[in-house]
Amino acid sequence: MGIEFENVNYKYDKRNAKYAIKNIDLKIDSLNEFICLVGHTGSGKSTLIQHMNGLILANSGIVKVSGSDVKKTRNINSVRRKVGMVFQFPEYQLFEETVEKDIIFGPTNFGVSKKEAILKAKEVAKLVGLEQTILEKSPFNLSGGEMRRVAIAGVLAMEPDILILDEPTVGLDPKGQREMMELFKKIHQTTKKTIIVVTHDMDVVSEYSTRVIVMKEAEKKFDGLARDLFLDQKLLEELNLKKPTYIKIAEKINKKLNRNYQIGCLSLAELIKEIVKGE
Amino acid sequence: MNVIVGRYINRNSWVHRLDPRMKILSLIILMIGTFMTSTLINMLWILAGVFLLILTSKISLLNFIKSLVPLLFLMTFTFVFQVLFNKQGPIISTLTLNLSFITILLNVVVIIGYQILKRFRIRGFFWFLLTFAFIIYLYTLNLGTPFKIINLNLYRDGLTFGLFLLVRIIILVSASSLLTLTTKPADLNNGLERLMKPLKVLKVPVDEMSMMISIALRFIPTLLDEVNKIMKAQASRGVDFASGNIKKKVVQIVSLLVPMFVISFKRADDLSNAMEARGYFPGMERSKFGILKFRFSDYLTILFSISFLVGIVYFDL
Ligand SMILES: Nc1ncnc2c1ncn2[C@@H]1O[C@H](COP(=O)(O)OP(=O)(O)O)[C@@H](O)[C@H]1O
Ligand SMILES: [Mg+2]
Repeated sequence: MGIEFENVNYKYDKRNAKYAIKNIDLKIDSLNEFICLVGHTGSGKSTLIQHMNGLILANSGIVKVSGSDVKKTRNINSVRRKVGMVFQFPEYQLFEETVEKDIIFGPTNFGVSKKEAILKAKEVAKLVGLEQTILEKSPFNLSGGEMRRVAIAGVLAMEPDILILDEPTVGLDPKGQREMMELFKKIHQTTKKTIIVVTHDMDVVSEYSTRVIVMKEAEKKFDGLARDLFLDQKLLEELNLKKPTYIKIAEKINKKLNRNYQIGCLSLAELIKEIVKGE
Repeated sequence: MNVIVGRYINRNSWVHRLDPRMKILSLIILMIGTFMTSTLINMLWILAGVFLLILTSKISLLNFIKSLVPLLFLMTFTFVFQVLFNKQGPIISTLTLNLSFITILLNVVVIIGYQILKRFRIRGFFWFLLTFAFIIYLYTLNLGTPFKIINLNLYRDGLTFGLFLLVRIIILVSASSLLTLTTKPADLNNGLERLMKPLKVLKVPVDEMSMMISIALRFIPTLLDEVNKIMKAQASRGVDFASGNIKKKVVQIVSLLVPMFVISFKRADDLSNAMEARGYFPGMERSKFGILKFRFSDYLTILFSISFLVGIVYFDL
């Protein structure tokens, strides 16, 4: 079923002329999508995703989750359970005495029994790459990366249909960023659930996304495949977006070594394949 | 969220231009004045004076009314308490309440209606007062055969003293609001620091205190932002901040407070490192950027304030 937006508008300050998001139409499946949401700071990305689990209610237009209108549902928690939201710096939401207690906090709020929730906690801890021994520790004695994994596990344990992450790699070192993205890829591949990631990193977009949505000045300016976005020179300039590394490399090789490789390589593997094919 | 504390409104008026030290001193003198006055008439005169200040400060009266809203309950309570329990002076009027089955039944109906309307978000203190007044009115009607009649006497001194206290609260609140609305938090803090400077002799850490105040003021909006974010994160994990029984409320508050403490300590740590890196050392003498200087209007103001106080003492005794 997924998420549907019909002509959604939102302003934080109604007296102000400035929209946070404007005229948004969108359809997101709950299966098999890996969506990267990009755009400059202040373009409305966070506002957009907060509409998806009813944290913000649209000024006008309709947001539907699993077919039911978010504004009209009696129980907003049913929406929040279906659409799991991980905020920027999610480690700041931890508060329980042990990691396990923090992970089961979400599920028990949604009425899952404690026993089941603990089983689920063990499972998701493994999925996000945390040792079982960590479950008994205090979340405040962990490293930054581990804390973030715990917070993500806490949302995964709610078993949402769709997982949304707002800039999940900020503040991590390059290795940590890569591990984090690999984790989402793994979750996506094992559960098939749709994942939406807000990011500024075009390499992430090119390597992981099955679909890209670009926001600019409160409006949706692009919605489609990464390849179509990155091969459209004019559009990239208009949206002020950079090219991903592998496309840049392919272009450089073509220019410096006078080759004629396809420049639409979105990952290292694709680039190598293209080079091997060309030689 | 609406923070009244430290809310400065930029206008170009003589009140804005006054030296913050003078404004603080004058406010203190005014406060002493309201506590030395003992008659309602004098209190009303002071209110008129404050009103004149507000008008010339070019700040909308609405802001002052807003600052009074949180005190509505206290004000009403003070007034009603005086009217009901102060039994001095002559009786000016008597309210006859008829307790009969019909009036009590109507009373119950009104209360049920009030509770139902509350569900539709019709609530608030004004609404409560209106309902309360209506219930009293019900009892004064001559409905049914009363099995008990209560006579409520209204005494003159109860009424005047109730009004007296009411006006005093209004004066204190609006005058303080006038100070914070017309003075930038930084200036206010600067003025306070300068006024308290003599306390340094008594080993009071005036500079550090003023630094703490300015940091606190600076971080109020930042922390409110953080509260908002944490609330959203916890709401996404199924916390419903709008409802819940006591046990759930405790969990809700803990889920908000613990992260807030963690964030505040982290911020404090970062800030203290940044301050140290820029050469701040507690207790060390620092030079000032904005040096306060009295002008003619400031001297005039303080002169006026003092003569006001003398006047009060003279007329009241
Ligand atoms: N809580 C808020 N109150 C008022 N304005 C806000 C708030 N959050 C965001 N905005 C404004 O809404 C616009 C969109 O912000 P946001 O959705 O956070 O963008 P992004 O996540 O793409 O950086 C920005 O102009 C921002 O200043
Ligand atoms: Mg954002």
